Amino acid sequence: MTKVRRQPVAISIPDRRDAALTLGPALLVFAFGFLLPLINLAIESLKEFTPGRVGSVENAAATVQNYYELANQAFASVLLTTFWIGGVAAIIGQLVAFPLAYFIVRRISPRMRALTLGFLITLVLSSVLIKTYAIELTFGSVGILRPLLLTLGLSPNSREYINIVVTAGLVHSIIPVATLTLIGAMQSIDPRLLDAAQSLGAPGWKAHLSITLPLSFPALISSTLVSLTFAISAFVIPMVLGRGRVLFISNVIYTRFSDIANYPSGAAISLVMLAAALAVVAVITFAQAWKVSR
Amino acid sequence: MSRQSLAARTGDRIAVSLAYGVIGLGLAFLAIPLVITCLMAFDARTYLGPLPPPALSLHWFERLVSQADILTSLRTSLILAVLTTVLSVTIGTAAAVGLARANFPGKAALTSAFLSPLIVPPVVIGFGLLLFLSKAGITNGMARLLLGHVIVTLPYCIRTSLASLLGSDQRLTEAAMVLGATERQAFWTITLPLMRTGVVTGAIFAFAISIDDVSISLFLSDPSATTLPVTLVSNMRAAFDLTIAAAAVVLIAVTALLIVVLDRVVGFDTVVGQGLFRS
Amino acid sequence: MISAVEFQGVSKRFGETVALGNISFSVNSGETIALLGPSGCGKTTILRLIAGFERPDKGSILIDGEPMAGLKPYERNVGLLFQHYALFPHMTVEQNIGYGLRHRNHPSGQIPRRIAEMLELVRLVGFGQRRPHQLSGGQQQRVALARALATHPSLVLLDEPLSALDAKLRHELRTELKDVLAAVGSTAIVVTHDQEEAMSLGERIFVMNRGAIMQSGRPDDVYWRPDSHFVADFMGRTNWIHGSISAAGGTAGKFRSESGWEFPVAFTGSLSGAAEICVRPESVEISSGAPGAGAMPGRVADVVTLGAFRHIVLDLVSGDRLISACPNRPDIAFARGQEISVSIPPEACVLFAR
Repeated sequence: MTKVRRQPVAISIPDRRDAALTLGPALLVFAFGFLLPLINLAIESLKEFTPGRVGSVENAAATVQNYYELANQAFASVLLTTFWIGGVAAIIGQLVAFPLAYFIVRRISPRMRALTLGFLITLVLSSVLIKTYAIELTFGSVGILRPLLLTLGLSPNSREYINIVVTAGLVHSIIPVATLTLIGAMQSIDPRLLDAAQSLGAPGWKAHLSITLPLSFPALISSTLVSLTFAISAFVIPMVLGRGRVLFISNVIYTRFSDIANYPSGAAISLVMLAAALAVVAVITFAQAWKVSR
Repeated sequence: MSRQSLAARTGDRIAVSLAYGVIGLGLAFLAIPLVITCLMAFDARTYLGPLPPPALSLHWFERLVSQADILTSLRTSLILAVLTTVLSVTIGTAAAVGLARANFPGKAALTSAFLSPLIVPPVVIGFGLLLFLSKAGITNGMARLLLGHVIVTLPYCIRTSLASLLGSDQRLTEAAMVLGATERQAFWTITLPLMRTGVVTGAIFAFAISIDDVSISLFLSDPSATTLPVTLVSNMRAAFDLTIAAAAVVLIAVTALLIVVLDRVVGFDTVVGQGLFRS
Repeated sequence: MISAVEFQGVSKRFGETVALGNISFSVNSGETIALLGPSGCGKTTILRLIAGFERPDKGSILIDGEPMAGLKPYERNVGLLFQHYALFPHMTVEQNIGYGLRHRNHPSGQIPRRIAEMLELVRLVGFGQRRPHQLSGGQQQRVALARALATHPSLVLLDEPLSALDAKLRHELRTELKDVLAAVGSTAIVVTHDQEEAMSLGERIFVMNRGAIMQSGRPDDVYWRPDSHFVADFMGRTNWIHGSISAAGGTAGKFRSESGWEFPVAFTGSLSGAAEICVRPESVEISSGAPGAGAMPGRVADVVTLGAFRHIVLDLVSGDRLISACPNRPDIAFARGQEISVSIPPEACVLFAR
C-alpha cells in the first residue's frame, strides 16, 4: 500500500490570501482606471470654466453651472436625437435578429450554421470604423447604392436621409450581437413544444407567437437593453455618418473636449450620459424582474 | 379542406414568406456594404467613382503601405493589442478564479462591479481616463492607451473565464485533492486547463477590441503614440477615398483569421453558449 | 481489532442547520456498509468529513486507528467515487485513472501497469485513450471507480454510485460493483437514498435521519425488525394499522384496530395502550376459504403486476385497506372483486407506541 504523506499541518487560512492574490490586480486596475476617473469626472463637472482657457479654473468654488447650461434646447435636441434614433435602431435590430436567430438554430444544416456563426462573429469582432466606412461608401454622399434610396423619394442631403443612414449604421452593428444573444436563448427552447402547439391546432406563426416569443422574452429584453446602450453610447457611427449634422451625446462630449477645451462641461455631459445609460439598464432590469414575477 | 384550415395555411405561408424576406434582407444588408468595400479596394481609378470598377489594380494598397503615419500607427496598434491581451487575460483569469471560489458576502456585487465598464459609454471612459491620468501626472501615451484598452477588455476576459469555471470547478478540484493533489497542484492540472476555452475566447476578443478601438484611443492618443483606427479617422476626414477601403480589406482579413483560430481552438457553439452572448 | 473507520461523538453544523448531531459508529476492516437516508439526513456530510473536505465541530474521526484531525484530503489515502463521477473532462481515461497514482508518488515505472490492471478490473480494456464525453454513463461510472481504487486506498467512499443510471444498468452494475469491491478487499462506505441499493450493497445498513443514526444492523434485521416508525417506513413498502393493545402479555398479546379488527400479535414487549402495527406486504396472508380465527373477510380491489411479483390491494370489511405482495406465478392468481379473507401472522407484526 502506498504510504500516505504524513505531515499534519496546522489548519491554514489560504482562502483570504488566495482571494487577495487573485482579485487584487483586477481591483487595482478597476479602481485606478475606472472608479477614480469617474469620481474625478464628477468633481470636474462641478468646476468653473472660462471660455478661451484650457480646462477648468484653478481653485474656483464648486458650481452646478455646467449642468444648468445643459437645460437648453440644443442639448435637449441632441438627447432626443440620440434616444430616438438609438431606440429605433435597437428595435429594428431585434426585429431582424429574432427570425434570423431562429432560422440559424432550427432551419439550416450544421455546416451552414458554422459558416453563418463565423460570419456573425467576424462582424462582431470587426472594427466599427471599417463597418461604418463601408456603410458610408455604400449609402453615403458618394454612395454606391444611393440611387436605391433616392428612388424612395429622399433628397440626398436632407436631414431625413442622414438620419436613415445613421440608423442603418447602428442597425448594422446591432444585428450580429442581437442574433448571437438570441441564438443562445433559442437553443434552450425544446422544439417539441412547437410540435405540441401545432398538434393542438395552432398554425406555425401562431405557435411561434405563443411559444417561441414568450420563452425568448427574457433574452429579447436583455438583447434590446444591450443594443440600446450600445446605440446611445455610439460615437464613431454618428461621427462618420452624421456628417456633423446628426450629433449624438458622445460627439458633443468630444467637441467640448477637442474644439472648445471645456472640460467641466464635457464632464457634466458625460455624467448625464452615464446616468442615462444606467437608467436604461435599471428600467429594463426591473421590467424583466416584474415580468418574471407575474 | 375546411375554410378555417385554408385560412390558417395561407396565413402561415404569408408569415413564413415575410420571415424569410426579413432574414434575406437582413443578411444582404449585413454583407453587401462589406462586399462593395472589398471590391472597391481594387478599383483601378484614382478617384471615387460609381460601381462597378472598370479595371482592377492594387494601387490603393500601395498607397496604404506607403504612408508613414499608417505604418507607425499600425505598429503601435499591434504592440498595444498584444500587451492588452496578455494583461487582460492574466488579470481577468485570476479575477475569475477568485470570484468563482469566493465565499464572502458581496461576491455578486463585486462581479457586477467588475463587469460594469461594459455599460459605461466608451467616450465617458476615455474622457474620464484622460482627465484623471493628466491629473495623476501620467503622461506617457502608450501607458495611457494600455490602461484604457485594458479597462474595456478586462470585463470580457473575466466573463468568459468565469463562465467556463462555474459549475464544475469545485467538484473537480475536490476529486483531484482526494486523489492526492495539493490545492496548488489541483489548480495547475485541473482548474487552469478547464478554463482553456474561456481564456482563448477572452484573448481573441481582447485582441480584436484593442485593435479596433476608436472612442477611447481618440482621447488617449498623442503624437508619440497613435493607434491605427485614430490615424484612419483623420485620414477619412481629410480625404474620403479608397485608401481606407484597402485598410478595410486588410483588417477584415486579419479578423477572419482570428475567427478561424477561434473555431479551431474553441468552436463556435461554445462561444455562443459561453456567456459572451448570454442573456 | 482496529476499526477501519471510527466516528467518536462527531457533530457538524452549517450555519443554523445541524447536519450531524453527536454521531458515533465504527466500520470494520473489509466491511461494506451503506449509509441510507433521505436528503438532508447527514449521510453526505459524513462522507465529506471522512474525505477531509469538512472538519467536525466536535468529536474525532479515526481511520485505521489514526486521528484525522488537521489532515487535508490529499494527506489521507481515501478513495472517493463522486456522484456524477467528476471525471476530468480534459483528460483521457488513462490519464484520469493515473492521476492519483501520479500525485501519491506511485513509482512512475509501474504506473502504466497499474492503470492496465484497473482497466481490466472494471472491464474497460481498450478504452484507455477515450475521453469522458465519449463514454456512456455506465462506462463513466466504471472509470470513476477505477480512478478511486487505483491508489490502493484502504477505504473507499461511494456517493450514490448507481443513482445516475437507468434501471437495467443499475442492476447489472450493482453486481459488478460488489465483485470489484470484494476483489480489492477495501473497506467501503456507500451513501444512498435508495433502500434497494443499500440493502443489496451493504453488509450492514445505517439508517439516518436529520443528522442522527436511527438504526444500524444487517439488512434483514433492519427490514424485519425496525425499531422506529421512520425506519420501518423508509425501508420499504409497509402496511400501517392503528389501534391499541387489547391484551398485553410479553410474547403473546392481542391487538384491536381502530376499525374493530382483533387479532393475536407476538412480541408486545412492554407496550400497552395506543399502538400501531407495521406489516410488510409479503407477510399479509390471503386465503379464499372461510375466514379462520383473527382473519378478516374482504375483497380484492386491484391487482398491480410489477414484473416478478404482484401487489394485491385489499379492501377489508372492517374498512382497512391493506397491500399484500405475492410472486407473479400463474398458480397464484387473484381477480378484481374476488372475495377473500386476510390474516396476519402474529410474528410478522412490529409494534410501535403511538
